[in-house]
Amino acid sequence: MDPIYPWLDPIEVRRMADRLMRIDCAPKASFTDVGFDEGFVGFAPATPATPATPAILSAHEKIAQTPITAAPPRAETLEPPAGVSEPSQLGIKRFRDWMHQEFSATEVFILDGEGEVIFDESGHGRLHFLARSLALESRRPGWSGGHVRLKISADATLEIIPAESAHRRLVLGAVVPQALAAATVVTVMAALTRAATPPTV
Amino acid sequence: MGKTTVSINLAHSFARAGVKTLLVDADPQGSVGLSLTRQSRLLTGFYDYLADPGIPLDRLVVSTRLETFSLVASGLASDYEAGGGMGAHLARVRAFLRSAAAHGFQLCLIDTAGGLFGVTGDVITSSDAVLIPQQAEPLGIRSVPKLLEGLTRLQVMNPRLSVLGVCLTMVQNELPESTEAAVALRGLLPPEMVFQTEIPRDGLFVRASARGLPIGALEDGFGAQMVFDSLRTEIEAKLKPTSGHLAALR
Repeated sequence: MDPIYPWLDPIEVRRMADRLMRIDCAPKASFTDVGFDEGFVGFAPATPATPATPAILSAHEKIAQTPITAAPPRAETLEPPAGVSEPSQLGIKRFRDWMHQEFSATEVFILDGEGEVIFDESGHGRLHFLARSLALESRRPGWSGGHVRLKISADATLEIIPAESAHRRLVLGAVVPQALAAATVVTVMAALTRAATPPTV
Repeated sequence: MGKTTVSINLAHSFARAGVKTLLVDADPQGSVGLSLTRQSRLLTGFYDYLADPGIPLDRLVVSTRLETFSLVASGLASDYEAGGGMGAHLARVRAFLRSAAAHGFQLCLIDTAGGLFGVTGDVITSSDAVLIPQQAEPLGIRSVPKLLEGLTRLQVMNPRLSVLGVCLTMVQNELPESTEAAVALRGLLPPEMVFQTEIPRDGLFVRASARGLPIGALEDGFGAQMVFDSLRTEIEAKLKPTSGHLAALR
């Protein structure tokens, strides 16, 4: 019996190898160009730094029971980009407010499955780059989970959380003071899905 | 015989060729240090540098009889290093590499611990290039897909990471399983990903290790040294377009 090939998928191995070798040997970019500048202090630990507190869990339950398309906390006029329906933009805005309120989140942005920015209050292309790279990587077969986090300073963690809306895959980026607990991430995913899904008529 | 032997002898080959080379032992087991320096466990080393921002590179570098060849041992703190989350030491690893470049080292060759996580992941995501020593035996070849997956993930983190390729080690031409594994690997991977040079299993390496010397320093080590000179030549051709001259080994 062949001691090697039955354990491998030669086509997949060759595909991965070809992709790895495709990189141009010439220096491509400095660290600052690829999203890791001098202020980058490393990745957050795999285990969330803080478990969800009873208050947070209570908030999750409240959110789970309340349709995200209910009356917004504050009225705002929105200019939805072309191709994105107004109800989903309103929902996303409310979702953003909820993230601010419940998790002290800042720099909230949302990309679609192709990496296009569909909502952004951060204005930091570098964060988009990181989120896009990691989210795309997380879609590869064999990746254990889609949620990724990066510790970007002593008191700030970038959470990158994928979610599926009715029409497309979304990637949420948000900077939070402390890493979100696993249960919180699930709640955020569900809330984003609801926020981005236009109500059925 | 695998990555540590390749690290020591390849670094020695570069140094003999006039490249100012720093060989770093980033394996918590301290294989490089144990191979070359009896007192290496007492030396301040790489893991001490990661743990203490107050330690300058000067305190770590151990000179050798060859002016262009210097070492950094694993260090005392390595006893406490148990992997850890990736990224925990990223800033310090990069500070180390910047400091090495500032000290004039043209090549920083890092012998990392196995796996692609923890400090090893941080080293690779900070390096210009990675070389993969792979033992010519069936079990090792079966692990290649996992290795490629891991490197793909690290290349996302470090888009400038160049994969120099796989170097077959411990090749035993008299053993069919070994030669078949080597042939299988060459059939599996693109030709440019597998070095032509193969490192044979040879008692000379054991003797060199026992005496704390690179194989080229043995009286009868000339032939074996030529193998590593050949590997160096292949690497130089691949590294030439880059400007960083920093490579990591896993």
